[in-house]
Amino acid sequence: MPTLTLLATLSPPCNARTWSSAPHPHLPIIATACSDKTVRIYSLQNFQQQSTISGGHKRSIRSCAWKPNSRGESVLATGSFDASAGIWRRWEGGAGSAQAAEVDFTSGLAGGGEKDEDDDDEWRFAVILDGHDSEIKCVTFAPTAPLLATCSRDKSVWIWEELEDDNFETVAVLNEHEGDVKCVAWHPSEQMLASASYDDNIRLWSEDVDDWACCALLSGHEGTVWCVEFEDANNIYALGSSEDLNSKQQAYVQTRLKAGPRLISCSDDMTIRIWRRVPKDKPEQPAGQIKAPSIWKNRDFEEEWIEEARLPQVHERPVYTVSWSKKTGKVVSTGSDGKIVVYEERWKDANAANGDVVMSGGTPAPDVEDLSAEKVSGSEGHMGGLTEWVAVASVDNAHDVFEVNHVVWAPRADKGKRSEDEEVIVSTGDDGEVKVWTLDT
Amino acid sequence: MDADKDNANPTIINPSDLPSRRRSAPTAKRPGIFDALAPAYPSLADPLSSPEASSDSASSDEEREEIDEQEVYDLISTISDPEHPLSLGSLGVVKLDDILILPPTSPRSRISTVRVLITPTTSACSLTTVIGLGVKVRLVNALPPRFRVDVRIKEGTSRTADEVNKQLGDKERVAAAMENKSLVNVVNTMLATCE
Repeated sequence: MPTLTLLATLSPPCNARTWSSAPHPHLPIIATACSDKTVRIYSLQNFQQQSTISGGHKRSIRSCAWKPNSRGESVLATGSFDASAGIWRRWEGGAGSAQAAEVDFTSGLAGGGEKDEDDDDEWRFAVILDGHDSEIKCVTFAPTAPLLATCSRDKSVWIWEELEDDNFETVAVLNEHEGDVKCVAWHPSEQMLASASYDDNIRLWSEDVDDWACCALLSGHEGTVWCVEFEDANNIYALGSSEDLNSKQQAYVQTRLKAGPRLISCSDDMTIRIWRRVPKDKPEQPAGQIKAPSIWKNRDFEEEWIEEARLPQVHERPVYTVSWSKKTGKVVSTGSDGKIVVYEERWKDANAANGDVVMSGGTPAPDVEDLSAEKVSGSEGHMGGLTEWVAVASVDNAHDVFEVNHVVWAPRADKGKRSEDEEVIVSTGDDGEVKVWTLDT
Repeated sequence: MDADKDNANPTIINPSDLPSRRRSAPTAKRPGIFDALAPAYPSLADPLSSPEASSDSASSDEEREEIDEQEVYDLISTISDPEHPLSLGSLGVVKLDDILILPPTSPRSRISTVRVLITPTTSACSLTTVIGLGVKVRLVNALPPRFRVDVRIKEGTSRTADEVNKQLGDKERVAAAMENKSLVNVVNTMLATCE
């Protein structure tokens, strides 16, 4: 049974509530949004604070997000309870290394006209995005396009396009939620956005011809949905290589590949659910035809998503954050009860993957378990029930007796790193602390 | 002027009928007249009593500290109603019987829950959310952090109960409310009569 071990507490802690942390897309640093109106940037190599962003917001900073693919310069978006979002920039010169900061400090003391160099190491406030009527809850950059999404207590989701540096244009204001929008998350490869709300629903948004619109409504949660996140497309391979699978499992893998990345959500109702697109049964293309007529795309706009699985319920109070590892497909969750829990997806019957079925070649007579799975699944699109989620590790009182607001996977970067792909879990709590955990097997 | 209030003529409970420690725990030692003059040092004659056990229970040793419903009641009954110059206790908005303390759910957990049901003075009281916020803020500030504070509207006493319950249960909304100066002023005025 794996265990969660505390590796480090980032230093110094904030002396007020910390809300969430975002690992940098390629540097070994992490940004923490604090209720004292600052963002603290910590090194994941030596666990010390490296820089701070302050002075931009009048209230709590609730969320921050790094712009992907911004080599040479780091770009951070901040979302605040003051209803505005900020964009901040810093050259990447010595970023990520505590040594560089120290050199600058010494030269600053010497006072040898190093002002320019000093400025290079500083965060520069670039632009403020105004528009929301009340607290911004979440900000996030799209991985596939120069788009930023923000959401707010004003029940709206805004999509901003960065036309050129620091020139952001509103491309959509999406108003269909009936309560605060708590979280927004982009699809890893398609231009699709998911939003989670106080109205207990999740909505998926994509571009229909020229306008952004809601393409799916995912209802089922019985309380505020606090967080949503898409999985990485490669997660499917965490279940094992295809040669070892029986025919049913292979069919499930095919369904998953057709459906694309799934969505995970967590809620005030204490549950964590996984949602999957139902692939459309497109008619077979006639041999000569290469492309479907473009009108097809329009009729196709609305999507059907189903609740595929529910994770074992370990939390005893609202679940605030769930994070899906891009490397291992494992899920980590946390919430008001102060627990951090790690889950893993497995084939339901481990023995079925041993190859005897494949050896026999034909379609095996379905056993009792297969029948029950079929009942639940119905059509191919609804196929599920072949995998199960297991809680593999958990820790109680992760931040002493305080609530834990956020948890996220990040690449391990300190000297103790055991393998190239090793990840750590970073948790952010009401005690103002950010803690780093390893999953030891 | 009173006509503007949601409930211009609330029922007021006689102070002597309100629950208090003195009556509910008659065996408790009555304070002596010199107690206030001398600090409560542990008696040298009693080597078994630790300083923690004998000093003021509200200020020391979070782990061992026992907090009961009466103590929670005492913390919130003196909050002023935002509409009337009266306490929530005397208006019957908070009642001892509607306070419940739930112990940790497992031996590993150290988190207890305080559940308070509030009874608005009328079913249409628009200030219910503010009263609930005052109770929540008071308890979050006064109790040790191991307590989770759930403030809810007593069933059947308000038409907007579900809506108010959801707001009071939403950590993010409560946090944002406490950064709103005008709301903070209202809550501070309500809490000014405590202690």
